[in-house]
Amino acid sequence: MTTQLVEEAREGLRQFPPALAQEFESALETVQPVLEPDELAQWLRDGLDIARHSLRSWEAASEYFRASGPVLEQITYDRMREWCAVGIELMETSPALSGALFRASPTVLPHLSVPQANDWAAQGKSLYKGTWKSGSLSAQYFDVSPQILPHLPLSQMRLLVDLIDSLASHSYELASACLGMAPGVLAQLDRADRAPFLEFGGIVAHTAWVDARVYFERGPGALRQVGEEQRPRYLSLAGQVAMQVGRLGHPYFIEAAQALSEVDKDIHEGLLELSEQLAQHSGDAAMEFIKSSPRVAERLGIDDIARWQEFGLNILQQSRDGGEAFFRLESARGEEVMEALSSRVDLDRVSELIRMYCKALTGVDVGVKASEELTAKGVGWVDESSPTTEGTTIYLPENVERYPTKEENFAVYKVFATHQAGRLEFGSFEYQSQINPELFASESNGTQNGHGTSSGNGVAGVAPAGVEGEAPEIHTDMEIFFDQFEDRRLAHDLFTIVEDTRIDTIVKREYAGVRRAFSRLQQAAIDRRRPVEDMPARQAMVENLLRASLDEIGRIRWPGELAEEMRSPLRVLNRIRQEGATVQDSAAATALLYEWLSNIPNVELDTEDWSDFEQEMSGDPDSGEDSDMMPGSGSSGLEESFMPFMPGSEEQPYDSPDPVDFRGDFKPELVQLLMKLKGETGSGDAPPIPLTKEQLQELLEKSVEISINELMDMDLAESSGMFLDNLLKEVNQIQGERQEGQQAMGDDSTGAEDGEELPVEAASFYYDEWDFRAADYKPRWCRVQEQRGEAGTTNYYAETLHEHTQLVQETRKQFEMLRPEMFRKMKRLTDGEDYDLDAVIEWYTEKIAGGASETKLFYRRNKVERDVAVAFLLDVSASTDEEIQKHHDQRQDDQFDDDPRKYLSWWAQRRAEAARHPGKRIIDLEKEAVVLLIEALETIGDKYGVYGFSGYGRDNVEFFVYKDMDEPFGDRIKERIDKIAPVRSTRMGPAIRHCIWKLQNTDAKVKILILLSDGRPQDHGYGRDRTEKEYAIHDTKMALTEARREGMIPFALTVDRAGHDYLKQMCQDMAYEVVADIESLPRRLPALYRRLTG
Amino acid sequence: MTTASAPLTEYKSWAVEEFRLEEEPYYVPVSDEIEIFQAAWNNKIPVLLKGPTGCGKTRFVEYMAYHLNRPLAVVRDGKTEIEEESNLPLVTVACHEDLTASDLVGRYLLEGNETVWIDGPLTRAVKAGAICYLDEVVEARKDTTVLIHPLTDHRRILPVEKKSQLLQARDGFLLVISFNPGYQSALKDLKQSTRQRFVAVEFDYPPRETEAEIVQHEAGCSPEIALNLAKMAEKIRNLREHGLAEGASTRLLIYAGRMIAQGVSPRRACQVSIVWPLTDDGEVQRSIEEVVSSIFED
Repeated sequence: MTTQLVEEAREGLRQFPPALAQEFESALETVQPVLEPDELAQWLRDGLDIARHSLRSWEAASEYFRASGPVLEQITYDRMREWCAVGIELMETSPALSGALFRASPTVLPHLSVPQANDWAAQGKSLYKGTWKSGSLSAQYFDVSPQILPHLPLSQMRLLVDLIDSLASHSYELASACLGMAPGVLAQLDRADRAPFLEFGGIVAHTAWVDARVYFERGPGALRQVGEEQRPRYLSLAGQVAMQVGRLGHPYFIEAAQALSEVDKDIHEGLLELSEQLAQHSGDAAMEFIKSSPRVAERLGIDDIARWQEFGLNILQQSRDGGEAFFRLESARGEEVMEALSSRVDLDRVSELIRMYCKALTGVDVGVKASEELTAKGVGWVDESSPTTEGTTIYLPENVERYPTKEENFAVYKVFATHQAGRLEFGSFEYQSQINPELFASESNGTQNGHGTSSGNGVAGVAPAGVEGEAPEIHTDMEIFFDQFEDRRLAHDLFTIVEDTRIDTIVKREYAGVRRAFSRLQQAAIDRRRPVEDMPARQAMVENLLRASLDEIGRIRWPGELAEEMRSPLRVLNRIRQEGATVQDSAAATALLYEWLSNIPNVELDTEDWSDFEQEMSGDPDSGEDSDMMPGSGSSGLEESFMPFMPGSEEQPYDSPDPVDFRGDFKPELVQLLMKLKGETGSGDAPPIPLTKEQLQELLEKSVEISINELMDMDLAESSGMFLDNLLKEVNQIQGERQEGQQAMGDDSTGAEDGEELPVEAASFYYDEWDFRAADYKPRWCRVQEQRGEAGTTNYYAETLHEHTQLVQETRKQFEMLRPEMFRKMKRLTDGEDYDLDAVIEWYTEKIAGGASETKLFYRRNKVERDVAVAFLLDVSASTDEEIQKHHDQRQDDQFDDDPRKYLSWWAQRRAEAARHPGKRIIDLEKEAVVLLIEALETIGDKYGVYGFSGYGRDNVEFFVYKDMDEPFGDRIKERIDKIAPVRSTRMGPAIRHCIWKLQNTDAKVKILILLSDGRPQDHGYGRDRTEKEYAIHDTKMALTEARREGMIPFALTVDRAGHDYLKQMCQDMAYEVVADIESLPRRLPALYRRLTG
Repeated sequence: MTTASAPLTEYKSWAVEEFRLEEEPYYVPVSDEIEIFQAAWNNKIPVLLKGPTGCGKTRFVEYMAYHLNRPLAVVRDGKTEIEEESNLPLVTVACHEDLTASDLVGRYLLEGNETVWIDGPLTRAVKAGAICYLDEVVEARKDTTVLIHPLTDHRRILPVEKKSQLLQARDGFLLVISFNPGYQSALKDLKQSTRQRFVAVEFDYPPRETEAEIVQHEAGCSPEIALNLAKMAEKIRNLREHGLAEGASTRLLIYAGRMIAQGVSPRRACQVSIVWPLTDDGEVQRSIEEVVSSIFED
């Protein structure tokens, strides 16, 4: 019976393509053994039903057959029928889908239970909209299901399907691509993140569907930057934001995740919580907050960030724009609040303060810069974080954030600076080999001045290096000193300890007020020292000396048996603390210590007897007997006393002690060299000494201060060559600056004849910009590049004067009348120079009449000084290029009589004419007006400056100086005026602010700022977009208001006929004028100026 | 000489030529200025004192006035005045920008129904043979130089224009002017024709130890405080021309010293009597305060 049924089926399948029959046959083979006969019959019927269902349903049948075997391996036939019923039902919708379902069945089954089939199929079905494209998408759904379901439970599949469905409504290609990517994407995500990821994806698909592909590509990567636990939260936040901000949602998601990767994962939770609070008010603010978090977290801990956020939230609630700017770190308030909350002290905020402080202490012009700047020069200093000085500038770390309050951190800076200033003030770099020490006078013979005079009397181990005879002047005194010692490193370390002790002692004596802060840092420094017990003997001794130098006798650890050996060097060190000790004494003490220590073998000490060292002489440094300071004859005895503690007797390599942070780097040899190279030796007038590279090379090889390896990793020859280049560059630069200075002075005196102005590099200035939406300044928003105007010829100036001879004379006459009379008589005063005769007579008459009451009988001649400074700010934006006499050309056009034969000659003639009389442009009139005004101003002697501005974008506001306030008028100015030419955009705000700055630096009672423009302010990024006018006008208005606040008189003048509308807004209660007839500008400007100042 | 019945004159009263110092002013010479001044006075050469504010110029003039003696007898206008040997009267005029020639020479005043001529301080000094000290002379109006010139050369004459008189200065009269080259603008420099009529004594702040001694004496504070104040002043003066127009004057140090002697804490005393008077620039103030806090412990 079975066979019969099979035969019938074969027969039935014959009407279909042979491929189906083949599938049937192979399926039959696997199915037949496992099915009961009635089941088989059912199976056959089902297959035939499917195939016969509709036109292309045979394909589905083929899939049905093929899937049957594998499916039956997993579930019973009953279950399979249940399962297949879903597929058969799908036939009603589309046989192709049904086929896809059957095809996927074997691989899907491990992940789904049979009852879930309906749900699974329904979701696929939902993608099908009856079109071919949707059908293929839906089929794709079934195809990729086996790869998706391992990662995503069916219950969450809905999210993906909705997402795809939503994309499909825009683009099937995109939807299909994303669906294809889905398995890979999901595999990259943690289980818990998958649903939120898809949820956010759904929102992206909704709000910014084009971003979906990017989201699938980059999303998982971006998400990994967020702390593991926080990812779902982050996604839901991103979703919440995206609902508000639409298209920006996805970029925000990527950028904020990037930002989060830059902050510590521990605070992600806190940041997200804060951001969620913001998201309720503004999605932008929430995301900007996260984007700014790396910079904020650099300064603030999470608690302070919360305070900062709270402050911003308040602003946000009042003004959305304000709050958003706050969190974008584009508002001055945001910075201020952060600064106030942070305990960190930044060098750039206090450098001027410290500079003046150091200047006060030392009396010399020291600079204060970040240590990085010195290390970047590559001239021998390598530590970026420690304070140091190279003799003219004090270098400090970029910021200090050691203690919980600003005051304490500033105190750290102060200690750093005071110590370095102390080196300058108390002459650490002024060692001179020929001068005898004060305190160590008795011992100095022989140990000092080793150079040249030999070291005859028993200075064991100290041999002057061979520097004799060869041009000694190239050697610095410090170098000569160190040359005495075989072990330069030891000598240098000892000298550093001794000298720092001396400096610290003097500083604490002279500046009692910093003692406390000093002691605190000393304490901190000593707490960080490595244990002495692990060090070999000599090194331990150096370490102990260093501890003693930090005022911590109590922290010295030393074997009790050898107490005597430690006592002597400590006594030497202590003597340097006496009042009146100089760097010469430090050198002498160093020599003594060196002698002592170089005899200490650097061996491991085999003793358990490390104990705190008690110095009986700990108070009074004077009490030490000079005699026992001399190592004298006992040098061999030293070694002997160590004998019992030297098990292997193995000499260990000597390591320098760890540096002390607040003392920083000390490189006296290098500093002396630099000073010598720069010609700044103590003796003063010695000219800079030209050193050959070879001589420097020699120095370099000897010096322990310069560790080339640290400097850069190259081979020695190359890097030392580099070092030398850097050093020479540094020196030349300083000499160059000097020469430049002299040259500049010479220029002024020789006048303009010798022509060539050096091209001056633009100097940069930074200004805030007013954001009226945020009602706050954007800090350091614009960069103004000041440069001198280009020079042309003086002809233009002369020609303009010639052209306007009449006008020039008129204005000059008018201006001469402005010149103040020296004295103006003021009458009827209660006190004055003398009696005002009229008043007296009147008074007397009244008195006789019996009713005199008037008491104001004096006059005074008051001196009237005209003290006016004015800055003219010309708009030289591109729009000033516009011609203003177009109508003339129009007429000429008409003259052409349409005869083509004559056209060429007519055209040539017209060109020639145009070249001879080019139409006047706005800028030409501006220039003419300026020329006339200058003529007039020169007659009354007001101070004035003429500037132009243009630029493109906020970081490139060009500011041209045609005549600076204090520059005398001359040919140069005339040449520059010739070259005034239209350039680019009109960002008025920063240009006005720069003018304000110019006027601030000018001494005058009346200060006027005249802005001459041809239109409204506009620039790239000057407002939300190029067409927005509000922002630029508000910023300009604010700039003008600032001028007024500074006591200046701002005045805006425009040749834009439409000027009234915005000038009214820009100037409100300030004076402005629209010059209706542009051509009258040259006449109008001087007249106006007269009115303003008369 | 003023009377309450003349309301117009009550605020114009000078009894200046009578002014003599009763007690010896405290003055510590820094170099040979005393000898120089003495020699100049002996030879009737006017003296120009240069130096920053508050470094002791005025005190020096007082000191000299106290120590210089007038001749015993002088005969003028047929009358013989016998003077006891006593110190010189000192007429001090602080010049300001509205000070005119008639402020110095004198003017008519209305009194009752008639005008009365009142001598100005310079006229009185000329008549009395006093030292006339014009403090900060460049501040005065330029017309005052008209008076100074004939007085300061060999003529020693004061023209009294309004009375059509010329006054010959009495022996003992010496014109002393002071002038601070540091802070005035170039406009207010002294003209060469004026400068070249004087011998000039240059003043500067005394060295640390001397200044400490002065502060201690004047302020009555402890020697340590005085020395620290002097040290601090030295540091602050390093900032001259670098944010500060003038260094901390000895006078300010004395004020600070007095405050401290009254029990004000040193840092606070320095703040109110040195830092704040010196500058309004916040940054500079802080720098100075850091110097102060480095030197004084509390």
